[in-house]
Amino acid sequence: MSRIGIILIMGFMAFAVRALPQLIFVGRRFPESLDRLLRYLSYAFICSIVGVTLFMTGGKFELHLAPSRALALALTIAVAYITRSAVSGMLAGMLLVLTLSWLR
Amino acid sequence: MRFAFRFRQGMKAAIPIWIAFVPSSIAWGIAAQAHGMRFAEIVLMSAWVYSGPAQFAVLGPLAEGKSSLQVLVAGFLMNLRFLPMSAALAPYFHGVNRLSLLFSSHVVSASSFIVPYLQFQKERLEASDSAFAKITDGYGNLAFFLGVGASSFLVWVVGSAFGYAVALGFPAGFEEALKFILPGYFAGLLVVEMRGWAMPVVCLTALLLAVPGASLSPGWGWLVTASLMAILVWGAEQWKCRASALS
Repeated sequence: MSRIGIILIMGFMAFAVRALPQLIFVGRRFPESLDRLLRYLSYAFICSIVGVTLFMTGGKFELHLAPSRALALALTIAVAYITRSAVSGMLAGMLLVLTLSWLR
Repeated sequence: MRFAFRFRQGMKAAIPIWIAFVPSSIAWGIAAQAHGMRFAEIVLMSAWVYSGPAQFAVLGPLAEGKSSLQVLVAGFLMNLRFLPMSAALAPYFHGVNRLSLLFSSHVVSASSFIVPYLQFQKERLEASDSAFAKITDGYGNLAFFLGVGASSFLVWVVGSAFGYAVALGFPAGFEEALKFILPGYFAGLLVVEMRGWAMPVVCLTALLLAVPGASLSPGWGWLVTASLMAILVWGAEQWKCRASALS
């Protein structure tokens, strides 16, 4: 399937998830436990993607780059935690990874 | 007249969201360009999928040409979070026709949910609960929601296109930094939203098991380990809640 095709289907699915509750569940509340499960699934996927994108290329673990990227990830987490800003954390990590790649 | 007033009110309330969306959308445009996506694909995805985390999440698998089913499952599961958000907003649109709800629901996002939701709750507290049912102005609330949602949506799409243009001007040697945008942004988002004990456990275990999982099965390994960790921690939390309720 082409990338455009995947994007179109993904958009339809996202639209359905947004529109259906407004059309079907009007006036009803979602169970708290199910709400939590959905949230945990989202966060687990995001973390898995962070791990795979950061430490693997083409399905292979990049051992020689892992330490500098792990360090940048740690800095990102620390800065985001202190500033409560995802973008500030990302920028700090990006600058560190860039500096370390130039020093290599 | 009332609709226009509430729409403007929503736009004013959305200004902090615009400020947050500008760097995030530009970051998405840059990351997507760095992953080899074309301008039309970037704009289409921002406008049609309109979900920052899901867009970032499928970027890698999409660019690497991984199984379309895998990309769609990952995107769908991540977008499931809109289900409770959309359901929570629904009671405030009492009396609005379904076609209007259908079109407006496209701009439901985490940010465009929380601002109107808190505003509607505040207005509900100001009126008594019984009076609220009588005075709920569904179209007025929809206008406020659209003022937040539609303007934020526009900022996101334009920002993505701008990010693509910015990325084209990046000199060589920045590949490592560009590759970091995606996981760095995710990590930052998670840290900012981290609450309680369960979320850090879910995040840490999913992060640590992703590489072994993907090494065993490059296509589905990370997806399976992430799902397992989320379900396990959720199960433990449920069990703990029941145990504390019984004691």
